[in-house]
Amino acid sequence: MSHILKIKNLSISFGENEVIHNISYELNKNEILGIVGESGSGKSVSSLAILGLLPKKISRITSGSINYNDEDLTLFSPKALQTVRGSKIAMIFQEPMSSLNPSMTCGKQVQEILLQHTNLSKKDSKNETISLFEKVKLPSPERVYDAYPHEISGGQKQRVMIAMAIACKPDVLIADEPTTALDVTVQKDIIKLLKTLQVETRMSVIFITHDLSLISEIADRVLVMYKGDIVEQGKTSTIFKTPQHIYTKALINSRPSLETRLKVLPTIQDYLNNTTNNDIITGEERLKRHSKLYNKPALLEIINVEKEYVSKSGWFSKPKTFKAVNNVSFKLYEGETLGLVGESGCGKSTLGNAILQLDKATAGKILYQGVDITKLPNSEIKKLRKDIQIIFQDPYSSLNPRIPVGEAIMEPMKVHKLYNSDKERKEKVIDILNRVGLSEDYFNRYSHEFSGGQRQRIGIARTIALQPKLIVCDESVSALDISVQAQVLNLLNELKEDFGFTYIFISHDLAVVKYMSDQLLVMNNGKIEELDDADVIYNNPKKDYTKKLIHAIPKGL
Amino acid sequence: MSHKSNSLKQLALQKFKKNFWGVFSFYYIVLVGLISVFAYVFAPDNSQYANQMHLAIHSKKPGFKVMMLTVPSQLETKQSVFDKLFFGKKNTDTEVPIKEYKVKEKVLAYKEYASDGLEGAEKSININTFPNNLVQDFIKEKTFLFGTDKYGRDLLSRVFVGARISFFIGFVAVFISLIIGVFMGSVAGYFGGKVDAVIMWVINVTWSIPTLLLVIAITLALGKGFWQVFIAVGLTMWVEVARVVRGQIISVKEMQYVTAARALGFNDFRIITKHILPNIMAPVIVISAANFAGAILIESGLSFLGIGAQPPMASWGAMIKDHYNYIILGKPYLAIIPGLCIMSLVMAFMLIGNALRDALDVKN
Repeated sequence: MSHILKIKNLSISFGENEVIHNISYELNKNEILGIVGESGSGKSVSSLAILGLLPKKISRITSGSINYNDEDLTLFSPKALQTVRGSKIAMIFQEPMSSLNPSMTCGKQVQEILLQHTNLSKKDSKNETISLFEKVKLPSPERVYDAYPHEISGGQKQRVMIAMAIACKPDVLIADEPTTALDVTVQKDIIKLLKTLQVETRMSVIFITHDLSLISEIADRVLVMYKGDIVEQGKTSTIFKTPQHIYTKALINSRPSLETRLKVLPTIQDYLNNTTNNDIITGEERLKRHSKLYNKPALLEIINVEKEYVSKSGWFSKPKTFKAVNNVSFKLYEGETLGLVGESGCGKSTLGNAILQLDKATAGKILYQGVDITKLPNSEIKKLRKDIQIIFQDPYSSLNPRIPVGEAIMEPMKVHKLYNSDKERKEKVIDILNRVGLSEDYFNRYSHEFSGGQRQRIGIARTIALQPKLIVCDESVSALDISVQAQVLNLLNELKEDFGFTYIFISHDLAVVKYMSDQLLVMNNGKIEELDDADVIYNNPKKDYTKKLIHAIPKGL
Repeated sequence: MSHKSNSLKQLALQKFKKNFWGVFSFYYIVLVGLISVFAYVFAPDNSQYANQMHLAIHSKKPGFKVMMLTVPSQLETKQSVFDKLFFGKKNTDTEVPIKEYKVKEKVLAYKEYASDGLEGAEKSININTFPNNLVQDFIKEKTFLFGTDKYGRDLLSRVFVGARISFFIGFVAVFISLIIGVFMGSVAGYFGGKVDAVIMWVINVTWSIPTLLLVIAITLALGKGFWQVFIAVGLTMWVEVARVVRGQIISVKEMQYVTAARALGFNDFRIITKHILPNIMAPVIVISAANFAGAILIESGLSFLGIGAQPPMASWGAMIKDHYNYIILGKPYLAIIPGLCIMSLVMAFMLIGNALRDALDVKN
């Protein structure tokens, strides 16, 4: 008997709504099983079911069994499950920021688990905790033992979470998107850590993620889930080299590749209709376009821009200053896409906000068509708003839930007195809705009736309603599933060609930024690390930081 | 367009309709509202403030019946129908409770009603006082459904007329508190910084003064009377509204659609009124319902202390005040009836507030 966990014909319903349809899979001893799928595919729900952590009142397991060492976990009483949970089957969650108790030191939290599940004395458990911290490669374990969660970084918190999970030497570790909230460089370290821990302890790991290339780096076997079904499962290499199911194919190919630059990214729809377009933008085409672009005068010029935050910690202590953006200068030409990449906290969004005049820069000049916009009076800034626009990250919070989408798109036109009558504006809105691939029937609907991808299209429609020249895309596709992300990226490129937009494309995802950008700007700690053509930077990074960043991207197979 | 769109408002309404106590309270409040507006139409005693006294039959039990002789008033006053309908008859006929009567030639002789086994005085009146000499039309048996108060006034009519004060003080106080509270709260929450600090300081100072004391102070400054109470209660209630609005705005302000609105070049006024306030209405509506109930209670309390509505105006609180010492005299209904009225109306508002809070919670 080589499998430790066997799931057979499992179906789960939320109310009347079946979310998991009759899935079966098994987890072998000493292996890493990857479960990959988009949001809503049921990958988290199925793993929560293993631990009996499904919300009790609204969900129930309608059929099937979950066998752990030949005992059916679905028949366990809540109390019996508690002994399994934590000691035999452990879990790591996505959000390290909120899964640690902020009022307890990290060491105490790990020690608590040891005291609960083992017979160790207080002193022994402390030593055990510190050795666990050493195992997960936390720097200076003694310091972390006494540190509160807010005193350590996100990656370190995730390490503490892992230490907690492996404290009782579980047989099975379920990692639910453990690296999604982390930067790529930290993600790489955590993945490495999980792999070595698995080899050392010979436990079985279920690794859940939406990121295909990430899973190819860690898992032995992969399950692909789509809308509550397992569409494909098998060895990682077979799945990636010879995917059978259309969905798997689409998922693998819709993520922009780092080597070649496709004209249009394939979407699931393309695979279903068999209309994939494999045209590549060649280096020459790119060069030709660039020489045209860079001959014109710059549309936007950033000169030595700084943004300083002052934090007052006490009445008498000296205020501390922190430079989020430090001495940044670059030029942006009409019709190009400037990629802005960096890890969280590097100041890329702050820079975007400074260009939009949402947060004023504390020093430096921002010249838009030759005029310094940092010194404009409020009345002039309003005119500028028409020209410089933003597309937001979170499609859920960027639309006002109380305003129907048609009106939301019409409102900026009204405020800026575009077009003569409401009738004309309405026609225009319908045009724009069609343009971003939405039907005009959606005019009177509210944002909560749409999916994430549709909402992002609405956000884009609202942005282009003003016919801006420069659009700042602040992590505009980061919150979207990969297949939807490809659609939105394609849309952005189409719109750019049709309307001649200039983009500043901000993202932490180097693959996406490289696909989109002409110039690439790498930021770190508020400073520019490197600025050059995207391909040049990717192929010959000069700075160590850039090298590290590129190296950390999961490459896939 | 075939698709029927559901706004959040409609979803909330659908949810509210399913809540029995919420709907029940809503209809109860509508009923009380109608009664208070058309009090003089429904009230058996439609004199102004339901102030028709009959001292001979004071503090009688609910359902008390007596023969009543109505002596038409000799004075003619001009009063429009509208005025009569909404503010009661100004000049009223004299009513005399009688035990028996006889018509002899041109004179009506009657014996006045007297309780506790006493004999009433015998009196007579010229029949010419009655139009067309039809005495029978002016003598009727009258029933006092809720009994009579200590001046022999019809308690039911006074409860009806008193509902008006309780109801309107709720409206006016909530209205005033909303205007001031929403404005102050939005300004403080949206602009933050020094503006916020100043407004929060004012809020904290206002809050530290006991409500009753503040109302007394305002009544003293503006004079006694029920309009002053309306304003005074409103002025104390804005504080809670302002705090709620401020807190909500601070959290909604961080939402991306607000940043989006700023990036789209909307001015502050438009952002606050169109993009922020509609999204924070839920807690404001809930607190308004609670404030409505609170205002009714404060008014009753003030009237009980004698600084609310002044006699002869009817008010539930004043009615309790007039009769609470009858409780030990075995006639508790005089105080209990207005007490129950206050309780049921306050409870209806509380229940409707709870139902609204559940309905407006979009997350579930």
